[in-house]
Amino acid sequence: MKNLNWKSLLSIVVIAFILLYPWLGASSYNKHLFILFFIWSIVAANWNLMMGYAGINSLGNIGFMAIGGYTAGILAKSFGVPAFLTVPLAGLVTSVIVTVALGLPALRLSGIYIALLTLIFADSLPSVLTQTRDITGGAMGLHEIPPFYPGMDKTGAYYICFVFFLIVLWIIYRVIHSSTGMAFIALRDSENFAYCLGVNKFKERLKVFALSSLLTGAAGAVYVHALGDISPTTLGIEPFLLTIAMIELGGVGTFLGPILGAFVIVFGNEFLRLAGTLRLTLLGALICTIILFYPGGVIQFITALEHRVEALLKRKTSPAA
Amino acid sequence: MENFVNALISGLISGSLYAAMALGLTIIYGVSRVFNFGHGVIAVIGAYLTWYLLSALGVPFLLATLLSMAFMAIFGFVLYRLTINPLLKKPNWEFSTVLFMLGAGILLENVVLQVFGPRVKSIPLLVEGMLKVGFLQINWHELLLIAIVVIAITALSLFFKYSRTGQAMRAVAQSIPGAQVVGIHIEQIFGMTFALAFVVTGFSGILLGTKYYLNPHIGWEWMVKGFVIVTFGGLGSTSGAVVAALILGLVEAIATLYLGAIWVWPIWFVLFLVVLLLRPQGILGGRM
Repeated sequence: MKNLNWKSLLSIVVIAFILLYPWLGASSYNKHLFILFFIWSIVAANWNLMMGYAGINSLGNIGFMAIGGYTAGILAKSFGVPAFLTVPLAGLVTSVIVTVALGLPALRLSGIYIALLTLIFADSLPSVLTQTRDITGGAMGLHEIPPFYPGMDKTGAYYICFVFFLIVLWIIYRVIHSSTGMAFIALRDSENFAYCLGVNKFKERLKVFALSSLLTGAAGAVYVHALGDISPTTLGIEPFLLTIAMIELGGVGTFLGPILGAFVIVFGNEFLRLAGTLRLTLLGALICTIILFYPGGVIQFITALEHRVEALLKRKTSPAA
Repeated sequence: MENFVNALISGLISGSLYAAMALGLTIIYGVSRVFNFGHGVIAVIGAYLTWYLLSALGVPFLLATLLSMAFMAIFGFVLYRLTINPLLKKPNWEFSTVLFMLGAGILLENVVLQVFGPRVKSIPLLVEGMLKVGFLQINWHELLLIAIVVIAITALSLFFKYSRTGQAMRAVAQSIPGAQVVGIHIEQIFGMTFALAFVVTGFSGILLGTKYYLNPHIGWEWMVKGFVIVTFGGLGSTSGAVVAALILGLVEAIATLYLGAIWVWPIWFVLFLVVLLLRPQGILGGRM
């Protein structure tokens, strides 16, 4: 119970800090970075839910985000739908498109096929965007997408994104600790035993796939309303790698890992702007190093540290007890 | 009619180049079950090395090719030994090798970018001139490319069929425990497979570099095409990859002729989906 206490205490402090941050003299630029952090950690956490928990080796999640972003952008710009409707609608549209076109075929296949199919799906989206230039803006993308409410400033966007961030993380937490989450733990530990218990792998995976794509699509919608534009560069190699790096750096298959990873990468990426063209080189090297030497990511470090502190505390208290 | 025949010929040419490019991917997958997501960059490295030897150092073409192939073999073996081999011992090796090679691909791509710069390069044609028979027009160079690919694929299949290493690779592809029982050193064969596949991939990069242009990022485009080809032909099947590459090359040429180049990729994607849904093991499914 002890470790739970310090973790929840720290979470409360962090949440309180984020809540108060705009009043503590946050610059507009820092608020912008926090907005990016909220959105990217949602994308990363959902990706991790698929990859780390459900074992769906998807490589197309940035594509889900782009579908959500474009749906919300088009709805808001061309049809004047208010933002509180575009976000759930974009999530639903993404989920339906992606689950039917990608999830149903991909989840019947195993291993590498899912990775291939999702990668090629995301890779073909830019050419779809160029084909539908009239409504998606082609290579230029969509600009001046209406904000959440008229006259929204950075602080407003900051709080809306933060609320969205908390809601999504709560959902993911619930899923991990639901029967679906348990089913995946059973499947991981002993696949045959899980089948004997009546776990339907395809069905559970499909549920996670639909939910993840829904939340990722909604994150894309929040992204366009908070930042105002989206273009095919979102589908480029860099956002893709950054998100992969977030998940790997934080720790695959852990709840907090991708969030920590997103924090480090979003803020670290700003420092790396100094490195110019070397940035992608460093990013590639970072991904390789983590996978090769620290497959557990930052979370593994923290857990190891925690065990050591615990052991130390035990040794100190044991003579008294 | 004339256009159609010319399109068929250009489809055959690009198809055979795609076949050469996809072979390295399917060889590695067939033997070691590692799916190389850094494949495109490997081809680019082979091509850039040869370009550098040819243009900057003035080495003759054959020697330049041999030197870069030797480098690719060492590179493949060392990369396997230092990185893939330890990763394969981990429980989630299948996806961690994918992510690792993806990261390594980006890393190498940007190293190529730093070393050679972003400007487009091209490897000079092997032979000049054009063959004209009636309305047919083919570059001698492209005919030579087809011949080279045919020879290379024949040599490769002879290697798999008759050499001891090639037979060992096929044994490992069929069953790792079985291969171990008859005394095949698995890690050694994996290392050789990586070396061989990197040589084949680097070689295909050279061929592609003479037909198309070269830049540090072109590898991704080649690689994604390679992915479709190997899945279409059946993962791990070399003959499947060759047939699939020819089919997709022809489809590409005909689609470009009648619909425009922009439709090539959507059509490839649909074909890919259909094959995955109806016949996930590929048109010539099975192993090498």
